[in-house]
Amino acid sequence: MPCQTTKPNHTPLSERVPDTACYFHIPFCRTRCSYCDFNTYTGQDSLIPHYMHALATEVRLVGVSATVEVTTLFFGGGTPSLIPANDLNVVLDSCRQSFELAGDAEISLEANPGTISRSYLYSLRQYGVNRLSIGMQSAHARELNLFERTHQLGDVRLAVEAARDAGFENISLDLIYGIPLQTLDDWRISLDTALDMRPDHLSLYALGVEDGTPLHGWIADGRFPSPDPDLAADMYEWASERLAQAGFEQYEISNWARPDFACQHNLRYWRNTSYLGFGAGAHGHAVFSGTSAVRYANVLHPADYIRRIQAQTGPCPFPLSDAVAWSEHLDGRQVMADTMFMGLRLIREGISPGVFKARFGDDLWQVYGAILDRLIAAGLVERTADERVRLTSRGRLLGNQVFAEFV
Amino acid sequence: MDTTSIRNFSIIAHIDHGKSTLADRLLQITGTISERDMQEQVLDDMELERERGVTIKASAVRMSYQANDGQTYEMNLIDTPGHVDFSYEVSRALQACEGAILVVDSTQGIEAQTLANLYMALEQDLEIIAVVNKIDLPAARPDEIAQEIEDLIGIDAADVIQVSAKTGEGVAQILEAIVEKIPPPKGASDTPARALIFDSHYDSYKGVIAYVRVMEGVITKTDTLRLIASNVVTTPVEIGIFNPHMTPVDRLNAGEVGYVATGLKTVRECRVGDTITLGVDGAAHALPGYKQAKPMVFAGFYPTDNDAYIDLRDALEKLQLNDAALVYEPETSQALNFGFRVGFLGLFHMEIIQERLEREYDLDILATAPSVEYQVVLRSGDILTIHSPAELPDPSVVDEIREPWMAIEIFTPEEFIGPIMDLVTKKRGVYFSMEYLDSKRVQLKYTIPLAELIVDFYDRLKSGTRGYASLDYHFDGFQVDRLVKLDVLVNKQPVDALAMIVHEDDAYHKGQRLVSRLKRLIPRQLYEVPIQAAVGKHVISRANVKALRKDVLAKCYGGDVTRKKKLLEKQKKGKKRLKMIGNVEVPQEAFMAVLRLDDDD
Repeated sequence: MPCQTTKPNHTPLSERVPDTACYFHIPFCRTRCSYCDFNTYTGQDSLIPHYMHALATEVRLVGVSATVEVTTLFFGGGTPSLIPANDLNVVLDSCRQSFELAGDAEISLEANPGTISRSYLYSLRQYGVNRLSIGMQSAHARELNLFERTHQLGDVRLAVEAARDAGFENISLDLIYGIPLQTLDDWRISLDTALDMRPDHLSLYALGVEDGTPLHGWIADGRFPSPDPDLAADMYEWASERLAQAGFEQYEISNWARPDFACQHNLRYWRNTSYLGFGAGAHGHAVFSGTSAVRYANVLHPADYIRRIQAQTGPCPFPLSDAVAWSEHLDGRQVMADTMFMGLRLIREGISPGVFKARFGDDLWQVYGAILDRLIAAGLVERTADERVRLTSRGRLLGNQVFAEFV
Repeated sequence: MDTTSIRNFSIIAHIDHGKSTLADRLLQITGTISERDMQEQVLDDMELERERGVTIKASAVRMSYQANDGQTYEMNLIDTPGHVDFSYEVSRALQACEGAILVVDSTQGIEAQTLANLYMALEQDLEIIAVVNKIDLPAARPDEIAQEIEDLIGIDAADVIQVSAKTGEGVAQILEAIVEKIPPPKGASDTPARALIFDSHYDSYKGVIAYVRVMEGVITKTDTLRLIASNVVTTPVEIGIFNPHMTPVDRLNAGEVGYVATGLKTVRECRVGDTITLGVDGAAHALPGYKQAKPMVFAGFYPTDNDAYIDLRDALEKLQLNDAALVYEPETSQALNFGFRVGFLGLFHMEIIQERLEREYDLDILATAPSVEYQVVLRSGDILTIHSPAELPDPSVVDEIREPWMAIEIFTPEEFIGPIMDLVTKKRGVYFSMEYLDSKRVQLKYTIPLAELIVDFYDRLKSGTRGYASLDYHFDGFQVDRLVKLDVLVNKQPVDALAMIVHEDDAYHKGQRLVSRLKRLIPRQLYEVPIQAAVGKHVISRANVKALRKDVLAKCYGGDVTRKKKLLEKQKKGKKRLKMIGNVEVPQEAFMAVLRLDDDD
């Protein structure tokens, strides 16, 4: 439904959003990984040119009503590295024209090893992409097969090497742990192999077995055992130590970086600040003057998305487009709660009472004292010398027990 | 008043053999219900009855039928509940009739409970019209089943009417048979009125509505009436017939079926089986067969949310208005706080009540495992009656413990005799007799402790016989046995609501099973939680629920914070359904764990 019919365009809300991130969802994949329950599609590659055109259009439509500075951009998926570099650049150009793009903006792209050539990487760099997040997932062929990934370990090595050669100075590797049949030793090998490639950033994700995925089916019918959560905890704790030795800082529950290489884009999620979502199924979050906010998501299917964007005739109230399928306004209290449970994911930073007060005008302890006291007593949360509130090392593995208190 | 044109009858059938469908068809053919008002299971008003396909409450309906002989007959169909828990109500309904239609599924054959009800009908000299139903199904064996009926109860197979209640085929024949075979009611109009109450329901305007069959005499709308057993005198608000809806009349004559809106406030004053007579110059004696419904199964009902205690009390009170068999009294549990010990006719009755509380009154109920009534003979010679394991006194003051035993009958194809014998033996049952019903089907009789019967006996019987066995049971008597209390300690605290009374020989085995089951049911907490089973001070089993180590969402996909929030909300909601016992969160299933102790893990 066109947004104009539901909401008249009044105060330019965009003026109350000082800066933002942009997320572009690329929902296309060659094959579907066995654990994936994202909004991704195979066999729809013929839509790609239209889709990319629609993305650039959506950026313009949203940008028309905005004077917002964009500090980070992120192409996520799906498989963004399936998209020709030229097409990505069209979207980037559209961004440059529609928003104030910061000179030092972090521009990330998720890449599947095995889909990226040297020349492709070179083009990306030329067009301004400066951070590459490579889905390595595992060093073991058996695990990659279980995931139905199409790449091999050698592809990851080649990709990292090629990316360095192309001039990427910020490379991240994704790994998955807690895999059925995976031993602690298997995990050590995967992580050490990743470290050998000298990444600047690592994301380590515990495998989630989601309903409706092939992996879920295999576990349900007994072909593979369920991941053992205690073993996954051991893997996590070992990785934390190993990465600390290797000079990485853990800045979020699942993320580690060499100093100054934390992902600026993802930090915006956790700090509960604005990010605009473009593309099919993309989620966005615009925070007005720090306190009230809107969360929204676009239609899931790329064909629907393209149709909606093509049919849109004029601008919608910022930050929506006609592709929006769902949106929700959050009041100050809800933004506060989101700020707590997202912010507590930040291992070092946590929640600072000063920042909280500056943002909301309220005292952190007055609003959440009772909950925080309980969590501190349970050993899940701690207060640092500089008064920050953050997860204890035990709390990191039991984050949901903490976060659930705030929803 | 001439009663020769009246026919009063019931339908006896096993669940799913087509009783309600047949009733629907009779109502349709006699034009009692217009095509427009016709729906399936007309007589079952309760949502639960329709869903489960079983009649829970009795009802009655008057039909007018013009027979082939040209005369018009008044036919009263008295519908009966379809579960053994309500067999007393069935017996009263049968007493109100002169005949019964026996409906047997022509693909299944006669079942235990049907036969039990049929015997009840024969004892009361009812005329039986045998019907095999579902002859439209490809698997129908109507001739064979008719022969089985002949072998079992001596009705000539040639007289068994073959019908399909679904298509209507043969149903008209049943109506003719009712006219020809079932005798009109007897009973003089000039003796003091005696009317049998065969069911009742509570109406907020008219008070308790008693469903009655006037056995003798006449009741008019202006009479003052007396209920003989409960010795209550009342002036009725109205009297009437079911046509099919309640329709007031001026008088109910001997032989007629109808209702008396008593104006009474609770069904306990107007119990099934009681006799209504006139307040002035009434009959001196009640009709035979009255019994006060006696609960056999007891469970603690606790609101999940402690604040809902008053709501639960009010809801039980309302249900009791309509259900004289439902009893309850306040109970306090250390683990579960304030609730009620509720008594039921059987497990089915319990399930129905729990479901109605949850659905009709929107209450979250935590039910403890059902228990039975024990008679505890103390050293002092006093006899204590207890309804909950928690009430069992210290063994040092106990002389003996008696528990209720049931006589059970099982009908089964012969190939399942072995597994049934095993099951009954495991459940402390004692063999009584075996008899072949025909060349393949066998009737087995045992006695068995009720406490064993209510713990998954029926489910295991069904699964062990691929659904072919059917079961009927009735109370046999109290018997002494070596019984002990099995205590359960969670985090070193005894949890009264988890205690159970078991046979001494089973204590070790059941204690182990219970502990391993609880270990799986109690979610991991932030701290390690030991679970122990003990008899007296002697711990017989122990296991630890390991501390929770990992519970965290790994990733926030493309900024989809909403999904993450939903997961957290779900987690939080799930937590609310848990009961805090000390520091430990225990789910409802844990309290029912004792019901599954014999499963093979």
